[in-house]
Amino acid sequence: MITAEGAAQARFRVDRKFMPLGATIGLFLLTYAAGILAFPAMRDGQAFFNLFNTTSFLLISVVGETLVILTGGIDLSVSGVLALTTVSTAVLLRAGWDPLLVIPLMLLMGVMIGAVMGFFITYLKVQPFIATLAGMWFARGMCYVISDAEVRIYHPAWKLLSGTRILIPGLADPVAKTGDYVTVLVVVAVLVLVAGLFLAHYTRFGRTIYAIGGNAGANEVSARLMGLPVNRTKMGVYMINGFCSALAGLAYSVYVGSGHGTHATGFELTVIAAVVIGGTALTGGEGYLIGSLFGVLITALIQSLIQFNGQLSSWWTSIVIGGLMLLFIGVQGLLTRGARSRGRASPATGARRRRLRRRRFLLGAVAGIAVFVVIGYGGLGIGRAGPSGSGGSATTECAIKPFRQDQAKTLAAGGAVVVYERNGGSGCIDELFAIYPDGKVTGDNGASQVMAQLSADQVGTLVKDITGLGWFTDKMYTTSHTPCAQCYTYFTSVTGDGKTKNVQAVDGGTDAPANYWLVTGELSAILPKFEAAP
Amino acid sequence: MTQTAARGAARHLADSRLFLPAVALGLILLFDLVFVPGFFSIEVKDGHLYGSLIDILRNSAPTVILAIGMTLVIATGGIDLSVGAVMAISASVACILIDPRIIGVSLSGNINAVVGDPGYSFVPMPVVILVPLAVAALCGLWNGMLVAVGRIQPMVATLVLMIAGRGIAQLITNSIKIIIFNDTFAFLGNGFLIVPFSLFVVAGLFTATWLLTRRTALGLFIESVGVSSRSSLFSGINERRVKLFAYAFCGFCAGVAGLVAVSSIRTSDANQIGLYTELDAILAVVIGGTLMSGGRFSLLGSVLGGLIIQATTTSMYAVGVAASAITAVKAVVVIMVILLYSQQTQDAIRSLGRRYLGREAA
Repeated sequence: MITAEGAAQARFRVDRKFMPLGATIGLFLLTYAAGILAFPAMRDGQAFFNLFNTTSFLLISVVGETLVILTGGIDLSVSGVLALTTVSTAVLLRAGWDPLLVIPLMLLMGVMIGAVMGFFITYLKVQPFIATLAGMWFARGMCYVISDAEVRIYHPAWKLLSGTRILIPGLADPVAKTGDYVTVLVVVAVLVLVAGLFLAHYTRFGRTIYAIGGNAGANEVSARLMGLPVNRTKMGVYMINGFCSALAGLAYSVYVGSGHGTHATGFELTVIAAVVIGGTALTGGEGYLIGSLFGVLITALIQSLIQFNGQLSSWWTSIVIGGLMLLFIGVQGLLTRGARSRGRASPATGARRRRLRRRRFLLGAVAGIAVFVVIGYGGLGIGRAGPSGSGGSATTECAIKPFRQDQAKTLAAGGAVVVYERNGGSGCIDELFAIYPDGKVTGDNGASQVMAQLSADQVGTLVKDITGLGWFTDKMYTTSHTPCAQCYTYFTSVTGDGKTKNVQAVDGGTDAPANYWLVTGELSAILPKFEAAP
Repeated sequence: MTQTAARGAARHLADSRLFLPAVALGLILLFDLVFVPGFFSIEVKDGHLYGSLIDILRNSAPTVILAIGMTLVIATGGIDLSVGAVMAISASVACILIDPRIIGVSLSGNINAVVGDPGYSFVPMPVVILVPLAVAALCGLWNGMLVAVGRIQPMVATLVLMIAGRGIAQLITNSIKIIIFNDTFAFLGNGFLIVPFSLFVVAGLFTATWLLTRRTALGLFIESVGVSSRSSLFSGINERRVKLFAYAFCGFCAGVAGLVAVSSIRTSDANQIGLYTELDAILAVVIGGTLMSGGRFSLLGSVLGGLIIQATTTSMYAVGVAASAITAVKAVVVIMVILLYSQQTQDAIRSLGRRYLGREAA
């Protein structure tokens, strides 16, 4: 009796253990497939590798955070330590320090910060949430003590690290040096992941991590009673995460080429969300590092899908990620609850009914969110296919047209304060607008012209916003963004303070200036619309 | 005899939950008294009071409002990380109600004359106030549903709205900053009735909450749910409903704080409004002596906690610490407060006190 049923149950329980992980991987594959159907450009291999290229620092950070969360703790300080590392690195490099000295020093700093927080949590019994919150504030504040302004990094080693492309064997031409590639940072991130996997699954330290977490702190007590080195392990986990945060900071400084206290604001939430989507329970004790990798990939995928779509606001990213988190928490809740009710002796009927009702509620919630996600994906596809009018599935790929620079110059010479060209997008448009100080707006899409009249004040506000929001810099922005053929490209020429500046940018370009989205949002709200072509 | 009574009273005072926060606030003000000349001077201009102390009170308003709601949630043994995002949502809703051009509503007449008019609002002012509050309370109720009905760990459940909420706030305003010209609305955060008007909001909310929790059994219910949600259930308390109320109320408070914040900066900046305020609010509650594990709570303690945070910030400005470096100082203060509150320190203090008092008595 015990053998047959028990064995069946045991096998089932092993399967359950892997369910969140399976759900994560399945979701990733499903989303990727949906993306490929909706956007032909995603079939390009580079689109896949870019998921890694844009999230190397996130992956590094997620490895440490997963270990912390597995012990039942949480570390909010990652973004602070990351920003502090970028600032310190930039300042030390500017002062002429050798990178071979700076890098170990930064990593040591991360470990030290982690050790201090770990000490508070482990020995002084401060809640992880509070202790690491203080750590984040401290690190963020120190950024500004070191430097108030953004410090750019010009060191050749950093240029080399960010510029080097590692070609993928078999998918690239090694002679012509073209083809699919990843950056050096991705290699570092993957190495960190491998080290983390080894640590978590093949060492005593990793086993202790799993033993500590979960069961609302009761497991920690039992681990202690079993004689496991709980304190040492908890300290170690926070120190490892400090190391990872500092390493992520170094990667970030390579990625953006500067150090500043506002770098990666809210990054800790992205990290925690990626861990949760990766199938790790925030209560600790359950989850896999490899799941966190897929958590990161899903985050990156959602971002790039929203960019490919080109019509959805980038804010949908956080909403979709929030929804996905809920989905995964729901799945985990269902699983643990199911396991627990089976493990216990038969409960009182009232309690059972309540539990059933709870399960039904959770099931309903999960189903609701699943429907929402499916509709969301459908919406992505339809939103993409609709305006091009090609009947749904088949989508035309737009080649990005060259900027009509001569025409733009003529317009600027004719007194326009803002010349703005919008190129590409899902409707393959190419629209050139000119805004004059007296409020006149003209638009030309190659086939027809539109006119509109704003007030002079509105134009004044617009120019003030563009110049005031850090958009009026000396840098020329030129980004080529090959896989994203449906993205908009923008060319803007602004005249203000007696100077004329040109800005050229592409959706998803990482070097777009600060508050770029605010201004393009403001622009698209006031510009006249072209009549749809018959 | 009188000496013993005095000692008993002193011990009673020292054991009071408000003792440590009051001492901390006193220390900070003492620091100001010594190092910042003129910190305590209060001027009267046009019938309004001005001065650093008034500044502390005024700037602490959003934190204190959040802390009042957060106290109840923490007392039930939960936590609400989403209050900052809910602030942003409520602010965005209010702005869109005053000036709905962003969502495609065309206003009649000359747009700039209409919107630049300090008396203009698309819907009547009571609606502008009430709808965001209702939306915020709904957000809180959503958190409460996840926690009380869905049985999701509070930190995780509210993290969802913390992440998604700011995106929702951006979507409402199409991520455009709406500038508010309406003077009636701006009075909420900018107005003066001798003292800043936001203080009346705080006072009203505090009194209402105090009456609600201390003059009805609700406060007791909340504390009992916080101590043991299971025993409360067995003793006939509908712990689910208590939790739902606590989270919805916390959302409501976040809505109020969002309105105060947006009316004082007159711009619906969904990116910045309420950023990191959830942390301030939680800290205020913890400093105020309410335990994160739930149970007994002190509303007045949380208000003091909010004041301590703001007093620290204002004092640091006054002695010339750069605005951006404030967070580092705040972190140090947090650590000191937490060490002061930690069981180890408390035990040490108590044993020291006992030894001292005991020897004296003998």
